[in-house]
Amino acid sequence: MTIEQRVDAANAKVLEIMTKGHPVWVDVQPAIDVIPGMTKTTILTPGPGITPDRVTPPQRTSICGAAIHEGLAATREEAWAMVERGEIQIISSQTMNTGNAACMVTSASMPVIIVEDTTSGGKGFAPIHPGGNPKCLRWGLYDEEVENDLRWFRDVYGPALGQAVRAAGGIDVITILSKTAGMGDENHNRQPAASMCLALQLMPWLLDIESDQKNAIIKHFAANDRFFLHVMMAGVEAIMASCKDIELSTVMVGMGGNGVDFGIQLAGTGNRWYITDAPKINGTFLKPTYKESDLIGYLGDSCVTEVWGLGGMSAIAGPAYMRLTGSNYAEARNRTEKARAVSLGEHTFAPVPWEDMAGFPVGVDARKVVGYNILPISHGGSALRVGGQGGAGAAELPLGCFKEALRGIFAQAKEIMEKEETK
Amino acid sequence: MDCEKILNLFRSELITVNVGPKLLATSLEMQGYKAYQVEWKPMAGGDKEMQEILTLLGGVD
Repeated sequence: MTIEQRVDAANAKVLEIMTKGHPVWVDVQPAIDVIPGMTKTTILTPGPGITPDRVTPPQRTSICGAAIHEGLAATREEAWAMVERGEIQIISSQTMNTGNAACMVTSASMPVIIVEDTTSGGKGFAPIHPGGNPKCLRWGLYDEEVENDLRWFRDVYGPALGQAVRAAGGIDVITILSKTAGMGDENHNRQPAASMCLALQLMPWLLDIESDQKNAIIKHFAANDRFFLHVMMAGVEAIMASCKDIELSTVMVGMGGNGVDFGIQLAGTGNRWYITDAPKINGTFLKPTYKESDLIGYLGDSCVTEVWGLGGMSAIAGPAYMRLTGSNYAEARNRTEKARAVSLGEHTFAPVPWEDMAGFPVGVDARKVVGYNILPISHGGSALRVGGQGGAGAAELPLGCFKEALRGIFAQAKEIMEKEETK
Repeated sequence: MDCEKILNLFRSELITVNVGPKLLATSLEMQGYKAYQVEWKPMAGGDKEMQEILTLLGGVD
């Protein structure tokens, strides 16, 4: 077989895992009990791995907040000194099959959503979406109120959700996506239909949980129309867990930003990040006084949804979101068509009625992105330099990281050829 | 030698097929000629290193 044939075969294998993946939300448990490799001093951060000296201010707040929450440090200063000395380890979450949206981090005692891909057996994790309060660790803010919320999630909300989802026998993510097809979700920045459908399935089981705070739990859960995002992120991580390290594959299996760098991972080289400067998310500011210089670069793992064909890839499925990105219906179609031009397959579980029942493109091939010079779009929310959400919009995936990624697979191919020649 | 076929071609309407930058097609259209634009870009935007990599890895039609 030629190298090209081997790349094609490897990509076909990855595409099969992606399109046959069947994620099911099975439980909620403390991160340290379920994420392999997690320790008491590990803090998982979004995007490519980063050294402490380059961490952005809101991300630093989240890391310090998590360290205080874990009892590792009493103050932010003490926490950061521990990070700088390596006593607290900050690790790229996607290298541990975990997705942290925006400025969120995952520390040992935090409850995480566990999703299992029932086809491949992979498991993925994500913290629970914090809900409607804009003051949260997820947007790089930390004070006593945020700490109280984190404790409530750890001690009350997380265990209650776990109890309900176990009693339900799991929540099938594909069923939710199928039932809400044509309801206007693009499932990165807009998922009210999926969140409501999920609530419909879980609510009977939440009513049966044993807790003296049942009303507060149900109010928090039912009022969050973005709840499904973090379930979906854990679902994508569950599928990608089985896609990594399939030699020579040029299919994208990870993507995210740390505020400074934006990176992608290819199946052929697994958890290795290929990075370039993080783009800013262009769209709508949440306050008219905000300006672009108030924002930091792309921060967060929520674009793993695009890795699996959602968000900007399926923009045409949720055209209402285009208003927030300063654009229109034609551009929604254009975004999905661009994605289709560089993808190897199509999902079949959620056809788009107004697109002649076409599915979302999935399996971005770095060869096509670079070869055709077509850049897919990711949707996303943007963080303020001082913490908090600045806006929401979209960003073109930077070509530089795809070129770097192809260099990585090229080197792998050369190594294989040299080994075979010496035999 | 029968040149009639080729002469017929020259006598017929001129239709240009333009490959690559659209500037030429646009200027012909402005002069009243028909032009068909073929959307074509060099592989990898002309990046020679990437072209070499893609020659080995394939995947681009």
